[in-house]
Amino acid sequence: MMRPDFFQFLRSPLLWVPVILAALLPYGLSSYHLAIGTLALLYVSLALSWNIVGGMAGQISLTHSVFVGCGAIFASSLLVRLGVNLWIAMAIAAAVSAAIGVFIALVDSRFRLGHLSFALVTLAFAEIGELVVSGSEWLGGASGIDLPKDRGQFWQFQFGGGSGYFWAALVLALICLVVSQAILSSRLGYFLRAVRDNEDAAQAIGIRLFRAKAMAMAISAALSSVAGTLYARYSNFVDPSLLASPNLTIEIVLVATIGGLGTPLGPLLAALVLIPCGELLRGRFGGSLPGLHFFLYGVLIIIVVLTSPEGMVPRLFGLWKRFVAGRARSRDV
Amino acid sequence: MSTEMLEVSGLTAGYAGPAVLQDVSLDVNAGELVGLLGANNAGKSTLINCVSGLIAPRAGRIRFLGEDITRLKPDQIVARGIVQVPEGRQVFPRMSVLDNLLLGGTLPAARADRVRRLEQVYALFPRMQERSAQYAGTLSGGEQQMLAIGRAMMAGPKLLMLDEPSLGLSPLFVQSIFRALRGLNAEGLTMLLVEQNLTLTLSCATRGVVLERGQVAIAGDAAALAADPRTRQAYLGL
Repeated sequence: MMRPDFFQFLRSPLLWVPVILAALLPYGLSSYHLAIGTLALLYVSLALSWNIVGGMAGQISLTHSVFVGCGAIFASSLLVRLGVNLWIAMAIAAAVSAAIGVFIALVDSRFRLGHLSFALVTLAFAEIGELVVSGSEWLGGASGIDLPKDRGQFWQFQFGGGSGYFWAALVLALICLVVSQAILSSRLGYFLRAVRDNEDAAQAIGIRLFRAKAMAMAISAALSSVAGTLYARYSNFVDPSLLASPNLTIEIVLVATIGGLGTPLGPLLAALVLIPCGELLRGRFGGSLPGLHFFLYGVLIIIVVLTSPEGMVPRLFGLWKRFVAGRARSRDV
Repeated sequence: MSTEMLEVSGLTAGYAGPAVLQDVSLDVNAGELVGLLGANNAGKSTLINCVSGLIAPRAGRIRFLGEDITRLKPDQIVARGIVQVPEGRQVFPRMSVLDNLLLGGTLPAARADRVRRLEQVYALFPRMQERSAQYAGTLSGGEQQMLAIGRAMMAGPKLLMLDEPSLGLSPLFVQSIFRALRGLNAEGLTMLLVEQNLTLTLSCATRGVVLERGQVAIAGDAAALAADPRTRQAYLGL
């Protein structure tokens, strides 16, 4: 039951004009700003894919660093240790991530975890993931993995320089957006929102909780994993303290929550605004005030929770609607 | 007309700790409206939650249309035609009334009939049509109860189980909801109605079963139960 609004969304100039403008950015930006743009787009993908589980299904998963790490570290290990083509390694890692996601959904369904327990159990998975990586030589241990030099060979998952990776990140972000919108307008999207709103009622009308949650988890995990592979290839080096650490998930969750959960627009815009802000702050004050961007997120999340728990983007939309309605009224008078 | 539809025998169930239900047996025949009565904590909700698969019973057997459904999962039970309207009007607040109703009819078997069923629900509760685009969370309590019943009807139930539909509603809404239930029953829908409201339930039920501390205290024809002083005694826990 794909609804017509999905096809409207695919045809909408509101989607394509920004994408085309973004695609032109590499011709105008310095390499420093382009790198920030690429990072922002990677976070868009991460925030959007997390939103499928955290926003649509309302399950606060703190385990996504495992999926990103799987895509980054496991795929890189397959390439470096076994010489597997990175495209194939990316697909294998995505499948493994999806399987881990389904397993977590199984644990959730078997033990009927509540929201809080779900968050804690997934956090435990994330910690296990980091320990596994730092304890395994094959996965690069704590020192990470160097990837072979990028020679711009597309069939090797190499995208050349900064522009190539920017476009690759843009395509991935677009895929995540389209997948999110497709889920929202499909039966699965309705099931997930029903589960989020009221799990018992969802079960009482015959929705298969495990199936819906497992599908959301698998899709979300696979997309996060692909973003991880791209992130690793882009930075030429896999840093386990960045890509396998639960801190990464916290950052994704913060960005998505500040933006507003549920619909893709909130996480999308928040990542596009916050990540560049954080990077620019780090560039300017990183030497004297390291971690300033985390401080910024901290302040923002406090403001958001206190003033608009539904998130910044839905809040701003609401204010805008009221403003427009107010103007229409004052014209009538 | 006494084809047995639902057959609960020797059911013992509970959560952690002592059993809430002790060896309860109950039948519902096709076309009947059976009132399941009793005070708070008598085990009424536990009983229907066992039937709909939300709680696994410790002992006993549940058969529906001749098939053993004791160990089936909730979605399988819904697919067989037992649909529960949960207690406390559990609608999906951040979805429109229409989406709530459509979600009720997403099972493969129910999907084909969705348009026709939606018309039936709108005919039953015209208010739902008026408010179809509104968020369910903005409805009044009585309207939410109508929506919860409508959503269950979308699944095309053979047996509708209602958990305290009158709970917390104004008398006016209680009346219109019971009028709708009576209408559905008159059209042939079998119902198991969990209620605390004794007089109202017995006035529209074919039979009644009174639970007291997890056991069947009295059962029989609605009219006989209404006249029997023991009914009220069981109710007050005397």
